[in-house]
Amino acid sequence: MTQTVTDAGQAAAGDDQMHVTVLTDRCAGCQECIVRCPAGALSMDSARWVAVADDALCVGCRQCERTCPFSAITVRGPLAVPARVEVARPRPDRPEGDNGEVRPGFGSWDEALAEASRCLDCPDPTCVRGCPAHNDIPAFIRAIRERDLAAAHDVLRLTSVLPDVCSRVCDQAAQCEGACTWSLAGGTPVAIGKLERFVADNAPVPPPAPGPGARAGSGLTVAVVGSGPAGIGAAWHLREAGAAVTVYERDPEPGGLIGWGIPDFTLPPEVASRPWRQLTAAGVRLRCGVEVGPDDLDGLLAEHDAVILAHGAPVPLRLPVSGADLEGVVDATSFLKAGKTALENGSLAGFRQSYGLPGPARRGGERARPMVLVLGAGNTAMDVARTALRLGLRATCVDWVDERFALARPDEIAEARGEGVEIRFLRTVTGLQGEGGRVRRAALAATRQRRAGRRPRVLHGAPELLDVDLVVVAMGYRADPALAGRLPGTPVARQARGLPDRRWAGSGILANPAPSYAHGKPVGRLALGREAGLAASALPFQERVWAAGDALVGPSTVVEAMAQGRRAAASVIAAGPRRGARRAPRHVLVAYESRGGRTARAAGLIARDLRGTGAVVRAMPLAQVTPAELADIDLLVAGTWVEGFVIAGVRAARATRSWLAGLPRLAGLRVAPFCTFAVSPGQALASMRRELEGHGMVVVAEGAFGPRARHIEVQAAGFAAGLRAAAWPAGPRAGAGAP
Amino acid sequence: MTTSHAPAGAGQDETAGPARAVALREPVPIAIRRRPPDASGAAERFAPTDPPRGWDLARYPRVARALRSRRFQFLLILPNQIIFWTVIFVGLLGTTIPGLNFGTAITWYIWFCLVFVLMVVVGRAWCAMCPFGGFAEWIQRRALWQRTQRALGLGLKFPEPLARYGFLLPVATFLLLTWIEEFFNIAGPGTPSATSYMVIGIVSSALIFFLVFERRTFCRYLCPLTALIGTVGSMGSVAGFRTRDRSVCLSCQTKDCMRGGADGFGCPWYTWPGSADSNLACGLCSECYKACPSGNIGLYLQPPLTSVIAPRRRRADVAWAIVLLWGLVLYQQFNATSLYAAIDTWLNTRLGFPHYPDPVAYLGLILAFALVTAGATGLIGRLSARPDARLEAAGNFLDRKTRFRAYFLPLAYGLIPVVGADYFARQLPKFFQHAPRLIPAVEQAAGMAAIHSPLYRVRLLSDPRIVAVQVATIAAGTLAALWSTWRISGRELAAVSRRPVVLRAASLGLVLACGTVAAALYVMINAAD
Ligand code: SF4
Ligand code: SF4
Ligand code: SF4
Ligand code: SF4
Ligand code: SF4
Ligand code: SF4
Repeated sequence: MTQTVTDAGQAAAGDDQMHVTVLTDRCAGCQECIVRCPAGALSMDSARWVAVADDALCVGCRQCERTCPFSAITVRGPLAVPARVEVARPRPDRPEGDNGEVRPGFGSWDEALAEASRCLDCPDPTCVRGCPAHNDIPAFIRAIRERDLAAAHDVLRLTSVLPDVCSRVCDQAAQCEGACTWSLAGGTPVAIGKLERFVADNAPVPPPAPGPGARAGSGLTVAVVGSGPAGIGAAWHLREAGAAVTVYERDPEPGGLIGWGIPDFTLPPEVASRPWRQLTAAGVRLRCGVEVGPDDLDGLLAEHDAVILAHGAPVPLRLPVSGADLEGVVDATSFLKAGKTALENGSLAGFRQSYGLPGPARRGGERARPMVLVLGAGNTAMDVARTALRLGLRATCVDWVDERFALARPDEIAEARGEGVEIRFLRTVTGLQGEGGRVRRAALAATRQRRAGRRPRVLHGAPELLDVDLVVVAMGYRADPALAGRLPGTPVARQARGLPDRRWAGSGILANPAPSYAHGKPVGRLALGREAGLAASALPFQERVWAAGDALVGPSTVVEAMAQGRRAAASVIAAGPRRGARRAPRHVLVAYESRGGRTARAAGLIARDLRGTGAVVRAMPLAQVTPAELADIDLLVAGTWVEGFVIAGVRAARATRSWLAGLPRLAGLRVAPFCTFAVSPGQALASMRRELEGHGMVVVAEGAFGPRARHIEVQAAGFAAGLRAAAWPAGPRAGAGAP
Repeated sequence: MTTSHAPAGAGQDETAGPARAVALREPVPIAIRRRPPDASGAAERFAPTDPPRGWDLARYPRVARALRSRRFQFLLILPNQIIFWTVIFVGLLGTTIPGLNFGTAITWYIWFCLVFVLMVVVGRAWCAMCPFGGFAEWIQRRALWQRTQRALGLGLKFPEPLARYGFLLPVATFLLLTWIEEFFNIAGPGTPSATSYMVIGIVSSALIFFLVFERRTFCRYLCPLTALIGTVGSMGSVAGFRTRDRSVCLSCQTKDCMRGGADGFGCPWYTWPGSADSNLACGLCSECYKACPSGNIGLYLQPPLTSVIAPRRRRADVAWAIVLLWGLVLYQQFNATSLYAAIDTWLNTRLGFPHYPDPVAYLGLILAFALVTAGATGLIGRLSARPDARLEAAGNFLDRKTRFRAYFLPLAYGLIPVVGADYFARQLPKFFQHAPRLIPAVEQAAGMAAIHSPLYRVRLLSDPRIVAVQVATIAAGTLAALWSTWRISGRELAAVSRRPVVLRAASLGLVLACGTVAAALYVMINAAD
């Protein structure tokens, strides 16, 4: 390695010798560490069948430590990586009127190449799991090292259509960079966001172009409701697959949150408008100013083969205190929209006028500027406050949480404070007082919060009175309740439940639950939680209706929404729904719970039979069925053995019952339950039917197979024949071929 | 396996190409470029120790069903759990006549013998049903049998500087426990409550270690019995849970058997079925069998002595454990002689130690026996090693290679059957003299006065006959050891020795000498009585 040792990280003081110790008593030679070591420092000693390390090659990334299932390997020594390339832009003293971008990108190839050289090109890159879109980060960084930005774009476009936007607005410390191996090892990660931005800023983002599966969606017409990041992701993917896409947007301008929600100093207007310029040029039909209500959904379904609801979560949370309806109390959305327009047009005075604010008085200096009280200290609140400064106002944010548990990005909070925003945590507004119908004062009370996720407690005591000229409520958003009614079960919680996927555990991303670079955020668990949102976006909510983005999971991030939009679109393409007549099932899942093997055998026979229709049929035990397995199926066959006694009631096996109860809503999915029994099937089928229908599925066939082993073939064949008659329109192959 | 996937692309139309379906399921894999696992040398490395493919008990659906059941190990542990809590309570509260106390009777007359039989035939069968570890594990897992996700306790890893000595720490705890047992004459049999306190001691130290460390750190690194069961158990004909197809394991992306899967915990013993080459560290708990999502694990039988003869990797900790255990059992025989009594008394008066066994004599003799045996193997090496044999001096305790070790390690393994036979022979008198007392002991515990029960005085064999059985046991063990040593020296030592014939003769001579010493001591003790 020619790299200099500069990142002390967690290395012990004074110990700059790299030393990898394999505990050969416990090392099982499973090679989990070897296959992942980015430096090739590990290999097998095949005589002893244990891992051996070459200290001279090791760079100290500790991937091996995090991955070893038996904790049989330890690394001592520094993180052998150069210091991160930092770029800073000289800032004007006072931000008023300055609409320029505050966060600089790499200014030269030298900087970019130096930073790119810090990436280890990890064989099992944790950064990729940390990125909500799962960008192939090592591959695009490798392309940068090879000075091939077009190739870098080719990598990025596999997973992202917004590299220029995401690289600016992502909270990298909690996503890709927080999950970078250097961050997990306690050091400073590769500046992935800046490198991604370097690609996007220095080579044009390629427009939607037919990809390898180009004609996969041809003939399909899809409506996308909402033109924000989720809608962009969905429309882009559908268009690339050849579908006809119409996007409905309530606002006069497309882009949703990207358009109005992110100030220009974070996301320059040319960048924000790029996606829609390219989408409309690629033939996506955009219908702005069209509000889609819950009652319009059926109309859309009549006109289109599928609908993706990506209408976001635009309804501001209301302020539950007295005086909330005074003049001068506004929500963040309208403030940001107006502020953005004013800054773009340079009409600061007009803005102040329209909000009824006094101009900055000549005398009194800073204190005489109008005061904006921002309720909340999340990312939106920071945007509001910083916009206010640029409009020549003063801004104070109050939030009742403890700063340690703040929702805003720590770097954003620091930037805002640096610009002069006052941010007060552990304070809450208990009332607003007005004069002549206009807000004049806010009463603030102290709060206390002991742990993250705990609701803060308001402390009693004399309230503090603050003179204010404008109050902006930036306490968060929720989905439109009317449309949410069409999406039962939303918002989907982005939480990893139960046992994490062992491939995630093996990658080591879960091994450091709170990297210091990520400000102690559990990057691994957060990433796993996001997978729940991605999985949900792949499943239809009712027949031919999918959802993505904030509409699905509640307020989240640009990159997540975009990824979910793409995932929903991919799901639409895979399912290939059609208006009118139902189509023959093309992806069938036969899921079974077998004890003695008879149910498994029946499932195998049914699967074999159904394969004769030309459908792709998978058969697997219930326990192995992941949400992803359910994503693209259009027929589910669920089999079980039964338990209980004839007198006491025979039911489906307990494992089956709990599996059925835990299924997501699979509206409109055709399903055929069957059971195998020894004496009597009892209530098994009826209760399965109830449960399945409760999840919105449509039962098209049922079967109960009796005890005689030889009969099972006959019975399974009969069941399959019935199922084919019920679910396949006419003849076994009809509809399975051409769309 | 019942999982079946349709061949990719079969019957699909172009609107759902296989690539797209895959991309939809999991976007991460495109970025995963793990190195291919190194399977070179695997076939050669594992060929001698892999059990015959057909000897997989889990092929039988009934066995498979039992092993898949989460209650499998619980039901094995439960009877022992009941017995051992009974031992504790009866020992404390029941009769103080040792021979009639259920706790003493079952522990020292029956249990020890049974454990030995299980070891020799099966391996770590006892570990699968052990009430000490079992109890602590229930608490650590917060469950009797369910697969839980969060463990109770600190979950620390055993520190590497200690863990690198492998099975030597358990030997130390075994020596300590035996010394305590001799000191208080617990098995002698002394007062029944002493047995109770001993069991309580083991259970509570197990519990503490289970709550401080992760998995079965206690069983692997501390349990006083584990070194003995592991080494003697490697004579057993149960290979344990092993991979069915090693290439599947090598390319397995999840390693559920190590990390824990949906239905099973990660291996509590730090054993990977994919690379196990002996039954030394498989606790037969079946967790890996339950956890593996590919059904790639079987429960295999193997020809007896395979785990003694065949492993390619000889472990220094195991070799030292064998000779130390050998030293201990010789000591236990020797201490019944009048010569020993004289030494012990002499030392005690010098050192001011209250009574038998004097710790210096105890440890000194055990070490002396062990070192003499190890020294003999070293001597064989010295006499027969080829000067050009390649040896690396570097490495830590487990892995250092020296000429001494090149001979000592394999030859020590070869002694396992003698050591095992000797331990077994030592338990035989108690069994043959007192086993029938279990019945009156049960009667006594049930409230009857059983001291007059005829069974209390029944002996299964007379003393001379017992000695005959002991000598026969040693002879059988010696024969097994001769066979093992013959095979081991042919496989591993002939190639590095100048005169293989002399080497093999000397090795067999060492085994014979050990067997003869053990047998002679039994005859001597009996004669002294
Ligand atoms: S991951 Fe651990 S057990 Fe597996 S080979 Fe590496 S050090 Fe050994
Ligand atoms: S610390 Fe990183 S480079 Fe070093 S051996 Fe482990 S995985 Fe390889
Ligand atoms: S999209 Fe966001 S999280 Fe993903 S690599 Fe880019 S900056 Fe990181
Ligand atoms: S960015 Fe970090 S985790 Fe990702 S490949 Fe590079 S070094 Fe590895
Ligand atoms: S036994 Fe199963 S889980 Fe373990 S490595 Fe092999 S295939 Fe993977
Ligand atoms: S290898 Fe399997 S059966 Fe053996 S101890 Fe480990 S988990 Fe239990």
